[in-house]
Amino acid sequence: MTTLPPLPMTRPKLTALARQKLPCSPRTKPRSELIKEKDDIDHYLEVNFKGLSKEEVAAYRNSYTKNVCVEMLRDGYHKSFTEFFALTEKWDALREAARVRSLSWAQRPLEEQPDKLDHFYYYLTRAETAERKEYFEEVYNNLYALACYFNNSEDKWVRNHFYERCFKIAQVIKIDGGKKEAEAHGHMGLLFEEDGQLLEAAEHYEAFHQLTQGRIWKDETGRVLNLLACESLLRTYRLLSDKMLENKEYKQAIRILIKACEIAKEGNDKKMEGEASYYLGLAHLAAGEYETALAVLNTYGKISADLDDDLSLGRAYEATAKVLQSQGQMAEAVKYLKKVVKIAKNNFQNLDFVRASTMLGDIYNEKGHYSKASEYFQQAFNTTADIMNISLKDETKVHYGIAKAHQMMLTVNSCIESADLTSLDYLLSWKESRSDITPDPTSESRRSTMESLYHTSEFSEEESSGFSGNQKNDT
Amino acid sequence: MNVIYPLAVPKGRRLCCEVCDAPAERVCGACTVTYYCGVVHQRADWGSIHEKICQLLIPLRTSMPFYNSEEERQHGLQQLQQRQKHLIELCYTVAQKYIFEGKHEDAVPAALHSLRFRMNVHGLSSVELVPAYLLLAEASLGLGRVVQAEEYLSQAQWTVLKSTECSYAIHSLLHRNLGLLYMAKENYEEARYHLANDIYFASCAFGTEHIRASGGYFHLANIFNGLKKLDLADTLYTKVSEIWNKYLNDHYQVLSQARIQQIDLLGKRFETDTGLDEAQEAEAIQILTSILNIRESTSNKAPQKTIFVLKILFMLYFLMMNSSKAEEYALRALHLAKKQKLSVQEQNTIQDLLNLISVEEAQPIT
Repeated sequence: MTTLPPLPMTRPKLTALARQKLPCSPRTKPRSELIKEKDDIDHYLEVNFKGLSKEEVAAYRNSYTKNVCVEMLRDGYHKSFTEFFALTEKWDALREAARVRSLSWAQRPLEEQPDKLDHFYYYLTRAETAERKEYFEEVYNNLYALACYFNNSEDKWVRNHFYERCFKIAQVIKIDGGKKEAEAHGHMGLLFEEDGQLLEAAEHYEAFHQLTQGRIWKDETGRVLNLLACESLLRTYRLLSDKMLENKEYKQAIRILIKACEIAKEGNDKKMEGEASYYLGLAHLAAGEYETALAVLNTYGKISADLDDDLSLGRAYEATAKVLQSQGQMAEAVKYLKKVVKIAKNNFQNLDFVRASTMLGDIYNEKGHYSKASEYFQQAFNTTADIMNISLKDETKVHYGIAKAHQMMLTVNSCIESADLTSLDYLLSWKESRSDITPDPTSESRRSTMESLYHTSEFSEEESSGFSGNQKNDT
Repeated sequence: MNVIYPLAVPKGRRLCCEVCDAPAERVCGACTVTYYCGVVHQRADWGSIHEKICQLLIPLRTSMPFYNSEEERQHGLQQLQQRQKHLIELCYTVAQKYIFEGKHEDAVPAALHSLRFRMNVHGLSSVELVPAYLLLAEASLGLGRVVQAEEYLSQAQWTVLKSTECSYAIHSLLHRNLGLLYMAKENYEEARYHLANDIYFASCAFGTEHIRASGGYFHLANIFNGLKKLDLADTLYTKVSEIWNKYLNDHYQVLSQARIQQIDLLGKRFETDTGLDEAQEAEAIQILTSILNIRESTSNKAPQKTIFVLKILFMLYFLMMNSSKAEEYALRALHLAKKQKLSVQEQNTIQDLLNLISVEEAQPIT
């Protein structure tokens, strides 16, 4: 769909001549040829002895665009001419607008891209002949080929223009039972999706889906059209619901996602169904409906387990854990998170691992099991050391520091309260040296942890140093 | 007396005929500044253009009156320039109108006048002369004098090539006439090339759906018709009809809007007009009537197209205030619709058009 074979084009005479004269065509002549013998005839004169014909003059003098236009009109293709003319005007207008905005214009002018102009000529004229004979399929094919040719980043608007035309033509084609119409709907949906107008995109994708339901049409790459429709529809719904969630319109988002789930179920693709349920669950969570979220996420988990998809299983568990956390059922949440951690470690999913460990640490932190919390945070921190994500590293550092501080809190407080010489000594030496000294048995564990705390807090951000600063002030 | 004697004229002054440059024997009685070699030429000139510009020529051909101050002299000079320009436009329009009506004989003196005045005002090798040359070429083509037409056209082409800033409109006109020349010489390849150029330039200058481009399309369609490529010709004729239809409808909408707004204030009946000058109107009539003839010859297969053209003609005449012809076309359309048993809706729209005229006629003229 993206690359076309080189066209066996019969280029019209004028344009063929013009191409020869174009500055972009490389012409290297060995210097020996330039030196003439006494009676040698000049090569140029030899070739062009008769002088230039009027057409050659025209080819030299006129711009390539003009040549293409004139060729089109000569053979009576006035509709192609009108369309081509309109497109070149728009191109120029865009160039002007870009030139006004910025000093450099990345796109080369049309003059230096004769291939594109040739393509225009070839396909537009063929489309017009087909239109005259009312072979609308031919018309559609030609316009579609043009759209594919312009499917690169700088010519998106040309491609969109041709998609729109394909769409109009496709609505007239009835012979193939609506296949072209369905494809055209798909393209229009893509157009709108890229533009960001999700509602219209959804409409077109829905039409696409409806037309392809129950049919086993395949497109050029062999993918079943119905599946394609389902995928695109789901994607659009997800994007729409994301936007709605941002605007806190929970009910609408959930409604859309439920629709998406149904469509995925009809599509008979387990993976898509699972994904749809996952997002529905997240939406319910955001809306605060925990029970339904749990139910939905359970289905997702089951599906992933059926498909043996560990990653999605991990995601399912993570989401469930979040829901449980919000509900307050910490023990259950912890169970799920532990499962996630195991899966992540098995599959070398570092980011997931970090996230899960952080969440676990949080829960333990809140409950008060500071040692376990710091253990998990340490794991997370070590993993982030492997990844190059600095912000993540800092975040985990902070968490680790806080957990360690909490751990130390009791011991340090008791040290301070006892206020006898030994504990004061310990505190002072700890603060001075900030290194691993072997402490006495009672405060051994405390001191080592204190040291390691200060060790880490040296690297930490202001939060933990602020905390320890408060500690200093207290003593 | 209208007769003058060449020998009685002061030494060194040669009086030449307006039309043919031969020694002059007669003078126009009305203005006394125009000379002719014989009655034939005098009559021809009078019928063609002299009737309209007789009095206008007097200030241009007599010596300037005496002015008292420099300011007045400057003012007088400027006025002279203005008069000349006005004459140029007038001659040009009249000549064009004759050509579109098919009266090529009458067009020649008018075109010659236009050319002479342009030479006086702008100089011998200015781009402004090109339209006059083109007009003369077209008139000669119409009279069948191909060689003369070719001469004029080469002159025009040379002027265009030499000038640095020639507008798209003039290029378009030049190529159109070249196309017509080659059509007369039956060199259809060249003709198509030139007409293609004409349409391209007209689109650059005015846009692809403008009435100025419609002429190019029309002639191209004629070529294809002659070459028996009837479907190609058909699409082009449709395009021409659509262009004119759109123009006339838009114009009519604008006018009716203006009328609705202002009729309360004045309660007067408004003049309708086409927004075109006479020459363009004549061109429109020529183009649309020939399309109508061609359509009528194939009327049985596609009556809608014939009715479409009839409706456009109706609109044109209606806006030109020529109600009788408008009514005639509307009746023809209605008759054809009934005969071909077209839909009731179609017949109703035609009936509406007829009612328009009767409404216009019924309103009292203030």
